[in-house]
Amino acid sequence: MTLSDTIAGLLGLNANDPLQFFLAAIIASAIVGTFMLVNVAIAGPWAKRKITAAFTDRIAVNRIGPFGLMVIVADAVRLLSKELIVPEEVDRPAWDLAPLVIAGSALFGFAVIPMGNGIQVADPEAGLAYVFAVASLASLGLVMAGYASNNKYSMLGGLRAVAQNLAYEIPLVLTGVSVVIFAGTLQMSEIVAAQTGTLATIAGIPIPSWYAFVNPFAFVLFLVANLAEVGRNPFDTPEAPTEIVAGYQTEYSSVYFVLMYLGEFIHIFLGGAIIATIFLGGPAGPVLPGIVWFLIKIWAVFLFTQWARSALPRVRIDQLIEIGWKGMLVLSFANLILTAIIVGVVV
Amino acid sequence: MSLEEPGTRDVGLTKAGEVNYDELEALLGDAVLGRETHLNAEAFVIRPDAVQDTLSTLKEEAGFDFLNCVTAQEYQDRYETIYHMTKYDDRTQEVGVVVPTSKDDPVSESAEPVFRTADWHEREAYDLVGIEYADHPDLRRILLPETWQGHPLSMDYDQTKPQIVTLRENKNPLQEDQRLNDDSDTMLLNIGPHHPATHGVLHVEATLDGEQVADVEPDIGYIHRCEEQMCQQGTYRHQIMPYPDRWDWGGAGLLNEWAYARTAEELADIDVPEYAQVVRTMSAELSRILSHMLAVAAYALDTIGDFTATFMYGMQDREVVQNILEDLTGQRLMFNYFRLGGVAWDLPEPREEFFEKIRAFIDDLPEKLEEYHNLLTSNEIMQVRTVDTGYLDPEVAKNYGATGPVARGSGIDYDVRRDDPYGYYDKLDWDVVTEDGGDNYARLLVRLQEVEESAKIINQCVDLLEDWPEEDRTIQANVPRTIKPEPDTEVYKSVEAAKGELGIYIRSDGTDSPARFKIRGGSFSNLQTLPEMAEGEYIADLIASLGSLDTIMGEVDR
Repeated sequence: MTLSDTIAGLLGLNANDPLQFFLAAIIASAIVGTFMLVNVAIAGPWAKRKITAAFTDRIAVNRIGPFGLMVIVADAVRLLSKELIVPEEVDRPAWDLAPLVIAGSALFGFAVIPMGNGIQVADPEAGLAYVFAVASLASLGLVMAGYASNNKYSMLGGLRAVAQNLAYEIPLVLTGVSVVIFAGTLQMSEIVAAQTGTLATIAGIPIPSWYAFVNPFAFVLFLVANLAEVGRNPFDTPEAPTEIVAGYQTEYSSVYFVLMYLGEFIHIFLGGAIIATIFLGGPAGPVLPGIVWFLIKIWAVFLFTQWARSALPRVRIDQLIEIGWKGMLVLSFANLILTAIIVGVVV
Repeated sequence: MSLEEPGTRDVGLTKAGEVNYDELEALLGDAVLGRETHLNAEAFVIRPDAVQDTLSTLKEEAGFDFLNCVTAQEYQDRYETIYHMTKYDDRTQEVGVVVPTSKDDPVSESAEPVFRTADWHEREAYDLVGIEYADHPDLRRILLPETWQGHPLSMDYDQTKPQIVTLRENKNPLQEDQRLNDDSDTMLLNIGPHHPATHGVLHVEATLDGEQVADVEPDIGYIHRCEEQMCQQGTYRHQIMPYPDRWDWGGAGLLNEWAYARTAEELADIDVPEYAQVVRTMSAELSRILSHMLAVAAYALDTIGDFTATFMYGMQDREVVQNILEDLTGQRLMFNYFRLGGVAWDLPEPREEFFEKIRAFIDDLPEKLEEYHNLLTSNEIMQVRTVDTGYLDPEVAKNYGATGPVARGSGIDYDVRRDDPYGYYDKLDWDVVTEDGGDNYARLLVRLQEVEESAKIINQCVDLLEDWPEEDRTIQANVPRTIKPEPDTEVYKSVEAAKGELGIYIRSDGTDSPARFKIRGGSFSNLQTLPEMAEGEYIADLIASLGSLDTIMGEVDR
């Protein structure tokens, strides 16, 4: 039962009629999309500041509202009321579309993520492939932004982004495939269902058979590749503020800037959602409802990226590519083959 | 290399190890027109067409391998360029080379082929005074815009007439770069003058080949504020001392003040009471910690790229020192605490509380430094980023006149505090830190270790000050209200500032303010080495190298 089915049922729509089902699906997408945007709104202007402040011994926003929470509203007003500066000779359609592509592509991914309590817009059989596919669309947006900005820093940033995504997309997908070998399916709900068993019981505490416990090696690989995929330290070379100012987003201001940033944050959450789904049992967890557990897991991944951002130096672009092609790729292939052998022999 | 001719080092030295100027004069032959006596050393007046021969003889045969500073000035009847030379091995051995040129044809031979460091120094002399240097590879203006009319420190320059140079007039930033031909694969990238990594308004013209740096040219002068001219208008006694603070806003103000104090005290023959020397030494080293902490924190920012933990830790640790210096001087940035002949006032009362604060900081310091080592030097990513990048060969560094942590990071054992002692340094127990790496990592290590050495010095000073008898606490010598040194007295003295050797040349004309006041900023010479480090490396390494030089533009542009 997906969220679209539930809504169709509630509204008395016929789920077999494509038009009526489309309407239900649109409503479901709006709910999920809004839900994720709320998360991003909390993360971007508020949580990120608070978390970084905690890592760096500062206080951060605390003046507006309880715990400074109203800064979210203040920031929204501030960012939306700023002047949108369009530099001379930018490549117009591409320059305008890039922020939309970056922000939109990540939101698409949430359509197939099972968030618990029946919140999942769609559950296609090729779910995991779909998520990886739409998440990679962001690279297109980065190139568009970098190329269309008519700025050398943007150009360098865009090129770096492509080189980086090429180098880390493959290890990311390959490691994801190793999970698929375990689960025997690409369908997200089935992958979650495959992790419901108990792996072992230590001192009376049952350890669930999440793939993070079944194959910790793959989990670590995926976590690292994901950091590069979302462009966070130590792999934030496409932005690299001290080298190339802000990379592909140098020329963007006002709403476009918001969309760029929004896109980055949604991407981090999408990465978290994928990790939660294929490695951490999706919405599974004791006592609390599934959706809460799901949120805890994606925020944990967010916290991890912020920790890396606060503590780790950035690698150089050539080192980054080297780690990707010479290290991660080899390790992810090794992981894939070993998984295949183990699954073939044991199962 | 043990076959090196014995005795080559001894040319121009007396048996006691002093410079034998007569022998040097004989060595230089008929290039020498006469002799001058400066307070710091003897100087030879030479023919303007014999500069290269003279300097290379002094460098190759007499071992004067360090062209410390080039001063240019105009007299009523002539122009003059002074090359202040010394040795990396022994800072106390100095010699000046004075090159007079006529008013009608102010051309003298360039020293650039002998010492690379002369490149920028002579460009500055050309820019500000108007002397031209034959054989100079690139004699353009350096501090002022290329369209500037006249030479501001020359005598016929109308200083009351403002010149406004608009950006468009100076240079069109969108203009195609003419230096590149159309089919080249390189790209010119302007890093700065406003850029997150330039730590001030520095403009680096980088020619990129993909991600690699093919050519680098630092373009300076964006905050040139005529500091030398301002000092020439101030009186020795009080009006000049506040300016040195403004050459370094990284916290090293007290070290800079000492540069002026040392030079002016030599000029006016003032002896500083011992107590004041200890207070100076202690406060100067606190100032050095401020500067080095900032350098390390900002370096973390350059290589990590965000306002991260290391940066904030650096800021917090600085804050403690900042508070101590605020207690002492009343200021947090522009201290203005030194006076000719001593310091402005005694330590704050109650003294015990003040000492307690310093002790607490010194006691906490090892733990804090451990944290920097954990976060930076022992971090593997940091190591792959900085080890073997931005390499500066010791010989190249000497050729460029590099000093301070940049020289010591290349294994050059040179520190003015030890080699030409002043203050109370020679009576304290501390070490000069050197690292042989010559790379970005070595320079980072040197700064972190120098913080430890500074702490050692401060600790010993506090010990001394605690037991200092109350009746002996003279904070200032008796200095006449108006200082008027003899006319045409010339002196060049330097101290070990945070970024490198900070030297000041003063020529007096019998009035109460200097006739020529020349500043040798350590960063000025250090920044010149950037192309040597960065060319052929990645753009990220260029940024890391720039950060590891720890330049401060106040000292470069003056």
